[in-house]
Amino acid sequence: MADNRINGLEVRLQQHSPIPLAAEFHCARGEMLAIVGPSGSGKTTILRMLAGLARPTDGSIHSAGEPWLDTRTGVFCKPRQRRVGYVFQDYALFPHMSALGNLTLAMGHVPQGQRRQRALELLDMVNLSGLESLHPGQLSGGQRQRVAVARALARDPSVLLLDEPFAAVDQVTRRKLHLELAALRDRLLMPTLLVTHDLEEAAALADRICVIHHGETLQTSTPEVLFRHPHSALVARLMGMRNIFQAQVVEPADAGRGCRIHWQGRDLEVAERAGFAPGDPVSWTIPASKVLMHRRGRPSRGEHENPVSGIAGELTHLGDEILVNLWVDGDPKTWLSFFISHHVAERNDVRAGVELAVSLLADGIHLMAPEA
Amino acid sequence: MLMSSAHQANPASEKVKSFVCRLWRRCSRVCKYAGRPCLALVLAALFSISPASAAVPPAVAAAADLQFALTEIAARFEAKTGQVVRLSFGSSGNFQRQILQGAPFELFLSADEAYVETLAKAGVTRDGGRLYALGRIVLMVPKVAGISPDVNFKDLRRAIEDGRLRRFAIANPEHAPYGRAAREALQQAGLWTLIKPYLVLGENAAQAARFAVSGSTQGGIIPYSLALVPVVSKGSRYVLLPASMHRPLRQRMVLMRHAGPVAQAFYAYIQTAQARKILVRFGFQLHGD
Amino acid sequence: MDWTPLELSLRLALWTCALLIPLAAICARWLAWSRWRGKVLLEALVALPLVLPPTVLGYYLLLSLGGDSLLGGWYQSLVGRQLVFNFDGLLVAAIIFNLPFAVQPLQRAFEGVPQDVREAAWCAGLSAWRTFWKVELPLAWPGLVTALTLSFVHTLGEFGVVLMVGGSIPAKTQTLSIAIYDRVQAFDDAGAGRMSAILLGIAFSAVVLVYLLSRRGTALGR
Repeated sequence: MADNRINGLEVRLQQHSPIPLAAEFHCARGEMLAIVGPSGSGKTTILRMLAGLARPTDGSIHSAGEPWLDTRTGVFCKPRQRRVGYVFQDYALFPHMSALGNLTLAMGHVPQGQRRQRALELLDMVNLSGLESLHPGQLSGGQRQRVAVARALARDPSVLLLDEPFAAVDQVTRRKLHLELAALRDRLLMPTLLVTHDLEEAAALADRICVIHHGETLQTSTPEVLFRHPHSALVARLMGMRNIFQAQVVEPADAGRGCRIHWQGRDLEVAERAGFAPGDPVSWTIPASKVLMHRRGRPSRGEHENPVSGIAGELTHLGDEILVNLWVDGDPKTWLSFFISHHVAERNDVRAGVELAVSLLADGIHLMAPEA
Repeated sequence: MLMSSAHQANPASEKVKSFVCRLWRRCSRVCKYAGRPCLALVLAALFSISPASAAVPPAVAAAADLQFALTEIAARFEAKTGQVVRLSFGSSGNFQRQILQGAPFELFLSADEAYVETLAKAGVTRDGGRLYALGRIVLMVPKVAGISPDVNFKDLRRAIEDGRLRRFAIANPEHAPYGRAAREALQQAGLWTLIKPYLVLGENAAQAARFAVSGSTQGGIIPYSLALVPVVSKGSRYVLLPASMHRPLRQRMVLMRHAGPVAQAFYAYIQTAQARKILVRFGFQLHGD
Repeated sequence: MDWTPLELSLRLALWTCALLIPLAAICARWLAWSRWRGKVLLEALVALPLVLPPTVLGYYLLLSLGGDSLLGGWYQSLVGRQLVFNFDGLLVAAIIFNLPFAVQPLQRAFEGVPQDVREAAWCAGLSAWRTFWKVELPLAWPGLVTALTLSFVHTLGEFGVVLMVGGSIPAKTQTLSIAIYDRVQAFDDAGAGRMSAILLGIAFSAVVLVYLLSRRGTALGR
């Protein structure tokens, strides 16, 4: 693991203007790191700096121990010296060359006689055999994306950079390309960075996710950790979590049990052992999957964990499930979101305006520093 | 391949368009494969018409009034000796300037000896040159202008006063001797200040002649040697102005220092009886020198 | 009909294109992507022959290339020929007065090459020169043909500057356009008419070619 890390990519970028950056992360060999953040957060800038197409005022980039950029010692390698495979957002294929031509042009390091064969192998790997003599203008969006990926790989790169590679295609094609990229993963022995604003995509494809906001890396972890234990309310919001609230610690964590917090007039049991003192304000979040609805019309049997009651506010139908916004204690300004299936909704006659009760599972509540 | 789709327009234009498209496609395909041979062809073309071939005919600078006379003399010269000269016609003053700046003329026939003297003083000539003719000027009026030409400019004066005259062409007195002579004649007739606002200045005597007979002016003062040529004087009337009306147009020719044998032979030929007969036919007066 | 003026004009046009186009390509490429603040000055300088009267251009060329000038004297001692009143001087003048016709279409064409395609070429391992040769130039091809055609035709038709720098020396500097002028002065309207028709034919075909090409150029999809 440590060995892999040394052989991977180490990045530190710092800058005030024109685009503020305070990014720091690493990516091991064979790992895929997704860089996620809202538009304008600097994701593409970071990728361009990794490729050598832009230069930060301060920072360092090391690939497999080799310095590509070090502002302190004045080292700067140009893009062609870095051996990166870059897949641009709009693919940037050479429009005047065939798919084969696009690939062979990137094979300057391969002996002339072997180029065609290798290019055909790569095209086969991305499921484009038979289309090698077509020009980009004659290919569909999905096919062009595959050529772009193949061209990036043709370079035998030490780092693979993908800049929102699925943004320009439709949903169906996107799903197909996701599967293909996932299938390619075991052939990708180099660190791979995927820039995207789509969380689901990042969670599905990447080993780890790096959350960026205004050029600053907020948290870099596996998707599970990010969803369950975001470092801050901001990260939670960026990860698309819905239930983020402010509360106050009542009892601190103790050996053997978690703490209790006070929220909306009730005390909540929290399994997590966070280091907060009584009276500390906290932010807390709970994934929608850890909010369980009580069956209606049935008398409550014993205790439910952290019961919360309220009135069903909006119901949003999302494909197979329904997203329910529960107005806690009837207050439309505070709502809890959770999902139920159609079946459950029908059985319990869940409609807008009816009374509902839910349980917040103690092990789902995650405490974070209070929001400023 | 990527041409826009056809429209249901008229079939003839469609045929033309498709022909051009096919031709273009063929050409571009040829260019792709024949790229290098094409380049070779172009380079061959560039070098084939090379500038410095062995025997280049000498360049002769001649005053514009010699346009027809000298052309005929050169033709006779070629018929007789088989040698060719390249004639350039223009204003004498302009040629003097060019020669001083290094223009490669080997022989200069000026319409005013003053220009030859300047060149001789500058040391670019072989000697002081030779007087080859005396020039004369005429008052030329297109028939449509309705002005009658006479040596006293009587009707011309009336035409200025009653507005029949709107434009009058002479060569530029600054650097064309025939323009200078025209000015002197008009000054002597007391017409210069009156006619000045209506003047159109030709860059040389031949251009002035073109203006004078073109119909866009109401006449002008041009060389006698040009007026005698039918193609110039058709549709116009002219009268020969007395030589006393202007300083004599002493036309002098001179060989340059670097003049070659052909230029020298031509220089000698112009002084033969044959050539002189031609000069006389074109209205030049000969001077014994 | 005497074909020397036409030959001379064609030779001048061909040589001008051969020397000017590579020069203009490099200049245009630099102008397209340079971010130097003084770029505007250079662009204005290149565009100058478009707005200057030919006589002004001719005057300054005579001044700087004439026999008693620094450049003229140096050239004379080097080659043994004068610049002015010679084909060589016409060539230098032609390169200068054709600069905007060559540089501007090329610059527009290079600017039309998408920046990310150039960056993709760099990431694919191409040096600046190979990027130029294999990616930028092929994509700027229509601009190149326009520049070539415009320069060619403009050289064929140029009058004022050629007359001032070259004089009107038959078989040396008397190009077709000057020969027409000369024929008119010699009252040879038939000759002038023939030459004018030829020049008109060449110019018209060239403009048609340029228009056809510019339309095809925009159809070069990605």
